[in-house]
Amino acid sequence: MENLHRARIMIEDEGALPFKDLHPHVAQMRVKEGSKIRNLVGYALTYMKSEGTGQIIFGAYGRAVTKAITCAEILKRQVNGLHQITKIQYTSLQEVWEQKGPVIKNPAPCLTVYKNCPSIYILLSKSPLDPQEDGYQPPQNPPSGETGKRSLESHGSSDSKKRKTNVSTEGRIEETCTNIGGAAIAQETPYFQKI
Amino acid sequence: MAEQTSLGDGPPSHRRRPAPRPPRGPNDIYVNTKTDFRAQLSRCRRLLESGEQKELRVHGLGLAIGRAINLALQLQLALPDTLLLSASTSTVELTDDMEPEGGEDGEPGTRNRNNSAIHIRVYRAHEE
Repeated sequence: MENLHRARIMIEDEGALPFKDLHPHVAQMRVKEGSKIRNLVGYALTYMKSEGTGQIIFGAYGRAVTKAITCAEILKRQVNGLHQITKIQYTSLQEVWEQKGPVIKNPAPCLTVYKNCPSIYILLSKSPLDPQEDGYQPPQNPPSGETGKRSLESHGSSDSKKRKTNVSTEGRIEETCTNIGGAAIAQETPYFQKI
Repeated sequence: MAEQTSLGDGPPSHRRRPAPRPPRGPNDIYVNTKTDFRAQLSRCRRLLESGEQKELRVHGLGLAIGRAINLALQLQLALPDTLLLSASTSTVELTDDMEPEGGEDGEPGTRNRNNSAIHIRVYRAHEE
């Protein structure tokens, strides 16, 4: 294991989205672990302000799901009246690990690991969505005033559905992927930023 | 993780208050990152299989979001009945206590920040 490095990751059915009746010009943001929130939200804001029937999808898997939710929450706060549908599912990943160091002649030893990673897809839309759909959230009450980037206090007080958990954010997140087949070495696999 | 462990570096170190606890019913599951994952899963299974609860609400905050999603999805796989998942997201406001140290101006203050949270409703398909 020490002599291997992750060469590439392949996602099965990458183009497939769990939403029906999408606008043809929907923007899809693939949020990765190293993505900068300001880049993602900056693009999403200009997109939402330019398009008439703006629909945007934040998709992420693994450790990036938190970032995708944060992006969606910030965007909802900045753009009023957004309908939201949240979908969670497993994404099948296929990782190929290759030998580190000087390249050895063929056959190049490589190891393929199949993983099921929890993933999230958040659809935000200016046009109304189907309220019967699972994971639908209607637009929130508009915040009373915008005094800057961090003027988020008004959002919390008006949110009646807000729930809080007593969770310390310290400590290492556990790798919660499950193996389908292949080698059973994926439990301790570190995530790299290069994807 | 690096920025969280180096609390002693900056002059005004801060201490995180635990997130405010909302009232919880028997079907509210608050997922954290410390508890054993299998224990959390079996607790949810027991609640659903006993038939007392028609639906569970799984909540996760911050780093625990991934675990909460995994828990809901594993529950969907583990139970024989068809379970439906309905997720929603929200923002939770957290408070940090600033602690003055080393002869700085002794004014303890607080700072608010936001964190993302997820709430997943897990319910049986035919009882909706």
